[in-house]
Amino acid sequence: MSTFRAVFIAVVLATALIVAALLVNYERPALDVERPTAEAVAATGRCATCHRQETPAIVVEYEASRHALVGTSCLDCHGTREGQEAVDHRGFELSAEVTALNCDQCHATQYDQFLRSRHAAPAYAAIEGAEPFTAEQVAFSERYHPGAVARTPNTLAHLEGEAAITAGCVSCHKIGQPNDDGSIGSCTSCHARHITSMELARLPRTCGQCHMGPDHSQIEIYEESKHGILFDAQRNEMNLRADPLRLTTSDMPVPTCATCHMSGLGGLGVTHDTSERLSYWLFAAVSERRPTYVQAQDNMKAVCGNCHSSSHTDAFYAEAEAVLESTNERVLAAEAIMDRLYDAGVLTATPFDEPIEFTYFDYWHYWGRTAKHGAFMGGADFVQWHGNYELLAQFVEIKAHAEELLSAHANSSPAPPLATPGE
Amino acid sequence: MRIPPLPLPWRRLASDRRLLVEVFAFANLAFLTLDIYVAHSVNAFRHPAEWVPFVFCLAGAAALGVGLVLALRARREGERVPSERISFERGAMRWIGLVVGAGAVVVGVAGLILHLESQFFQYQTLRTLIYSAPFVAPLAFTGVGFLLLLDRLVPPESVEWGQWIAFLALAGFVGNFGLTLADHAQNGFFHATEWIPVVSAALAVGYLTVAVGWPQNRAYLRLGWIVLGLQVAVGLLGFVLHLMPSVAETASGLLRDRIVYGAPVFAPLLFPNLALLAGIGLWDLAAKVGPEATVLSAP
Repeated sequence: MSTFRAVFIAVVLATALIVAALLVNYERPALDVERPTAEAVAATGRCATCHRQETPAIVVEYEASRHALVGTSCLDCHGTREGQEAVDHRGFELSAEVTALNCDQCHATQYDQFLRSRHAAPAYAAIEGAEPFTAEQVAFSERYHPGAVARTPNTLAHLEGEAAITAGCVSCHKIGQPNDDGSIGSCTSCHARHITSMELARLPRTCGQCHMGPDHSQIEIYEESKHGILFDAQRNEMNLRADPLRLTTSDMPVPTCATCHMSGLGGLGVTHDTSERLSYWLFAAVSERRPTYVQAQDNMKAVCGNCHSSSHTDAFYAEAEAVLESTNERVLAAEAIMDRLYDAGVLTATPFDEPIEFTYFDYWHYWGRTAKHGAFMGGADFVQWHGNYELLAQFVEIKAHAEELLSAHANSSPAPPLATPGE
Repeated sequence: MRIPPLPLPWRRLASDRRLLVEVFAFANLAFLTLDIYVAHSVNAFRHPAEWVPFVFCLAGAAALGVGLVLALRARREGERVPSERISFERGAMRWIGLVVGAGAVVVGVAGLILHLESQFFQYQTLRTLIYSAPFVAPLAFTGVGFLLLLDRLVPPESVEWGQWIAFLALAGFVGNFGLTLADHAQNGFFHATEWIPVVSAALAVGYLTVAVGWPQNRAYLRLGWIVLGLQVAVGLLGFVLHLMPSVAETASGLLRDRIVYGAPVFAPLLFPNLALLAGIGLWDLAAKVGPEATVLSAP
């Protein structure tokens, strides 16, 4: 073979290999290769090589997520942002903790809305008070929820002890926990990690993981309501993955918690401020109108308008407000009895050290709240049997107990009779 | 300035290509011990079988080392040492090489099969191919094993011996082409310099394919020194580029972690390593083909 022929064949072979290499690389999706750093490119696949063995479920969850579909890499969420502690993990620099700050880099609007909501600082301050928060965080939250963060820690929770707080209260209230990086909260409370699912956040059961039980029995009320029953029946026909900005009643003809409180149906703006459409402080012992009462109620009624006529909605609100007023009246009456016991020195100033204090707490915290929530969420049984019936029965008990205490306190002289609401 | 000649034992060694291949195989097995340790540290030797190549490298290199010491001592002592102790055809050195060589072939093929459990074969996508355990890499053992076997089973005076050596170097460069392509695709050829070894390996593959298939042209064989010189330069450049991020002042974490999980520091050295092997093969072919050919006698 001549030297020229040998060189020619060698060059053709080498060129063919190089072209093949370029073609293979060209076939890679742009999402895989067009990233700002070499580490970010590598993270699209290298993390999975270990985690598919070590923690396979999180890889499966991520691959089923919308994040995977739009090419968000592991490093996009697990990378560090300013203020976050960095840890070295097998050649990658990762944030020691993934917080709302990491979500904020792409979902800033949603995070800002969340910060204004009661899900943010007020949720955690309800247990731990203002101490864990910075002065700026307290001041910010007080603009939207006066007294909700600039407050003392929860007395009852701290009487129950740290173990109960950590494994109990905080499991839900950490949705508004301050993070070391200066952010507040964790988006994964509703969206979960790795699947980071919008569908999950729209499921009533997701809200129900915290909004349940006698003190905030929203999930039980929803499940009893026509809304909940329709959801059960039509769940499989609904498109819970629909884009929030393009959501229509074709996607979700039946309301879930997110539909009424957050979604953008009927031209309403989508919001992560779950307080925006609430017109009363229903959680309070005696519920008052929120400062945004008119706007909030108009917003909520606009959602109702996707299914109900305005006259039906107005009537519904009128009935609910009537329940609210009667509940307030009952609670105020019980409160007056308690005040009298404190004023007379029958009860000590120390909270939760006498049985009647627990009875009174259950009175408004369980049955009062349940009656009001039932009224505003279409849960008839919760208005009546789980709400007003209990209020009636417990009032009798509180009253009788208070009379006994007053009599005993006065020694020989009988106590004057106590008033009953409506008398 | 006149360069002083090499001492006699080194000149003898340099002229004995068969022994050079033996030294090459020994050095590669010894170095693979470190390389395997680093590679399998990435997943902390998760599967017990990952210790097998590490232990094999240690034992194999030690055995080959004993054989080499015997051979070199015998050369120094000349006629006083029985010939079977230093022969590739008989005695201890032959059997050590055959056993270690056959073992290396088995370990390499087994490694290939075990690496096939990687995610690529589960999902068979371009992405999982790129991020899979390198299923071709264990064939480095097979290559070293075949070197030891052919050094004993193929007549050293034949053209075929040189062809086999060059062919194994060619196979190595094919592997280098695939591995550099896959490894650098992991970070999307973020730096343009990452294409250099791909192109360089492609040139080596093209060149060696012709050299192995049609080894009669001495002029073409001489051209090989340029191609192989390029491989050496590329390998050393790659070594420096891979090492720099790990030792940079701005690098974070432990040095061990940076080396284990960072760019594979030793991988680029495969280029000069294979260039050396190919050089032995081309040197042998050039000596045996064409009008100036000389046939070497067996040691």
